[in-house]
Amino acid sequence: MWINEVDEIFKAYLPYYVLVFLPIFIIVSPTSPVTASYEFPAYRMQHYDLHGTSYGSRAASVNLEARALSTWSSSRHCLVTRLKDLSIDTFRNIKGKVGALVIVLPESYTNLTRDEKQQMLLLENKMLFEEETTIPVYFVKHSKEMNNVVDDLSKSVDINDKRKSAGENLYASVAANGYQITISTGTPSIRSDNKIATIHGHLAGYRSDGKVPTIVLVTHYDSFGVAPDLSYGVDSNGSGVIIMLELIRTLSTLYADTKTRGKFNLVFLLSGGGKFNFQGSKKWLEDQLDATETTLLQEASFVTCLDTLATSGTIFMHVSKPPKEGSPAAVFHKYLKTAAEQYASVSVEGVHKKINLAEDLLAWEHERYSIRRLPAFTLSSIKSHKDPWKSTILDNRENLKYERLITNAKVIVEALGKYILNVTEGDAFNGSLDINKANFDNWLRILSSQPRSAQLLNTKDATLVTQIQSYLSKHLSDVKITYAIPDKRDPDYQFYSITKGTMNIYRVKPAVFDLILTLAIITYLTLVYYTIHYVPALYSVCSNLMKNKKVRSS
Amino acid sequence: MTLYHFGNCVALLYVPYYLAYKQSGLSEYGAFWKCVQAGMIYMFTQLIKMLILATFFPDNVGEAGGSFIGEVLKYTVDIADLAGLYFVLNGIPGKGHSKVLTAGIGWATAEVILSRALLLWIGARGAEFDWIYIQKCIESNILLIQHIATATLVWLWSRHNLNKNLKLFIAVLLVSFCYKPLLFDFLLYVLHLGVWLGLVVKGVFTLVYGLFALTVYASLADLIGVY
Repeated sequence: MWINEVDEIFKAYLPYYVLVFLPIFIIVSPTSPVTASYEFPAYRMQHYDLHGTSYGSRAASVNLEARALSTWSSSRHCLVTRLKDLSIDTFRNIKGKVGALVIVLPESYTNLTRDEKQQMLLLENKMLFEEETTIPVYFVKHSKEMNNVVDDLSKSVDINDKRKSAGENLYASVAANGYQITISTGTPSIRSDNKIATIHGHLAGYRSDGKVPTIVLVTHYDSFGVAPDLSYGVDSNGSGVIIMLELIRTLSTLYADTKTRGKFNLVFLLSGGGKFNFQGSKKWLEDQLDATETTLLQEASFVTCLDTLATSGTIFMHVSKPPKEGSPAAVFHKYLKTAAEQYASVSVEGVHKKINLAEDLLAWEHERYSIRRLPAFTLSSIKSHKDPWKSTILDNRENLKYERLITNAKVIVEALGKYILNVTEGDAFNGSLDINKANFDNWLRILSSQPRSAQLLNTKDATLVTQIQSYLSKHLSDVKITYAIPDKRDPDYQFYSITKGTMNIYRVKPAVFDLILTLAIITYLTLVYYTIHYVPALYSVCSNLMKNKKVRSS
Repeated sequence: MTLYHFGNCVALLYVPYYLAYKQSGLSEYGAFWKCVQAGMIYMFTQLIKMLILATFFPDNVGEAGGSFIGEVLKYTVDIADLAGLYFVLNGIPGKGHSKVLTAGIGWATAEVILSRALLLWIGARGAEFDWIYIQKCIESNILLIQHIATATLVWLWSRHNLNKNLKLFIAVLLVSFCYKPLLFDFLLYVLHLGVWLGLVVKGVFTLVYGLFALTVYASLADLIGVY
């Protein structure tokens, strides 16, 4: 019987419908099926080897259920917490037991209290430099959605909580909002391009006797923090780079004119890998000392390293050996003091720390040069090389003490300028040594707008390196980039791939919930079944109702 | 487990349709292909609607928060649905209630297959849980009642032996029902109702609408003696 009908359909309707069918399917399908899963960029913790020691987190992939600090219980859970809720002890306690750790960063680093900042700095330091972490650790920036997730997680009750009644627990176990966290990145592997670029150039001085001594100015340009993609390092060591670039600008103007040409050769070195035991300086120094022809370095009066110069008003002159009276370094120290006297807020202090040869890691960059018996010192506004400020993600543009940086820059530029020209009295340069605000701010913007971790800058054409190089080429002669490449068999340092990933958070319900839902649906469908059964009855009721009405009206 | 959830949703969505088809006795009439025909005409109507929308409202298709009048005009296109239903009712041979039920169920089933199947297939199978799928399924159940009622009313309207006043009332009701989604969105927005409460309101509203259709149909059927 129905075959006839099929035939009828084919005859009467099919030609149209074949044309209609496909487009309809495409058009009527929903344009945007609901995608409620959250997606956040997640920044992975540092992962590197230095002198055979492993640092940072060793794993990267996460596919685990999210839990809060109070509710996690096994390695099948991914702990999600705010940075301020995590203490050092808790971190040590959990890092071997939980499956993964996701840390939500505070909204802003500026309105934290002193204590909170201090705690963050210490935690970051301990996370990085204590023994390696085997679990994946990620950092996520603050956002409203992330905030809700964290709140939701900390609210959800622990099933094993004995204080709650059985009913409450049962309800919680069924209705609980769970979250599944997925970060699929693959296994981190050793990167093959572990190059570290060091940019250098020089200005030639002039003396009538032809024996021109050299001053080497060194600063590392990379930054460091608990996650490579979050380390902006505006103070450490963006401040050093900015002062260096300012020095290059002012001194090159002086050297351009034969009348004001200095009595020293100047070598400017923007070294990479400063946070990885000063690999850039090491490589450059080796190159210089191995060179067959005479290099500028052999006539060096001193080597100045600039490091983190915006935190305090005191400029510390770190040395490994106190300079002898009358030596160039001692004379420069005096110049620096005189320059600082003009500013009430700036003072100069000498700090002496012997090189600890037993330790793998050097404290300051100048120690690289001091080991090779070159007179060297570091200018820095922090007193201890262990200061956690040198390696923190807190060190961003918001936390930069801009005025400090300007003043310290002025002092250093003036001291060095006067030393080079051998002038002692007041303002002898008619303001030509003044800081150029526009240039200064421009570089500050460039440096503070991108993370400068060594891992991120080791591609062959990193923009920042090219930018610095072209700036140097404008002002200096003989600008070159040398690359430090770790030894194949016994590498000094190794970086690993994967510095960030995308974190997906799915809202999930426990399995019991689906069963309960099925029961509810079955009940509902039974109800529908019986309701449909009653439709004829309803129909007759309606029909009677109308009849009665009509009877009454007629 | 997520496929299980998909199963849940599908059960909630399609079982009432199946029940309606079986219990109404349509299966005994062998009305399956008639339902399919109704569904085909549904598709054809949707295509025409799309064409009209794309021709006259090319800019703000899919754009949220367009002007109110623009929205009203867009929903006016839904009158084509009524014409489609009328066409279905005319095209299907049959008597009284079987005709109306065939049209209503066929129409609603086509809609549910075309607009929900893909959504569920893509959405409800994922790891992510969202109430929206369950909500959509319940909404579809409500739509089944609404479509049957609308089919009934359209059929009633096409009858010449219906009271003139009633006919006018039905016409107005049918046309105004095209703007129902707009009205509900507005209501939900103004009263700040949650999605669940909104569903309850829709359900109650549709039930009243259905009962009205049933009553009018009952009286007319009685008059001409179809049942």
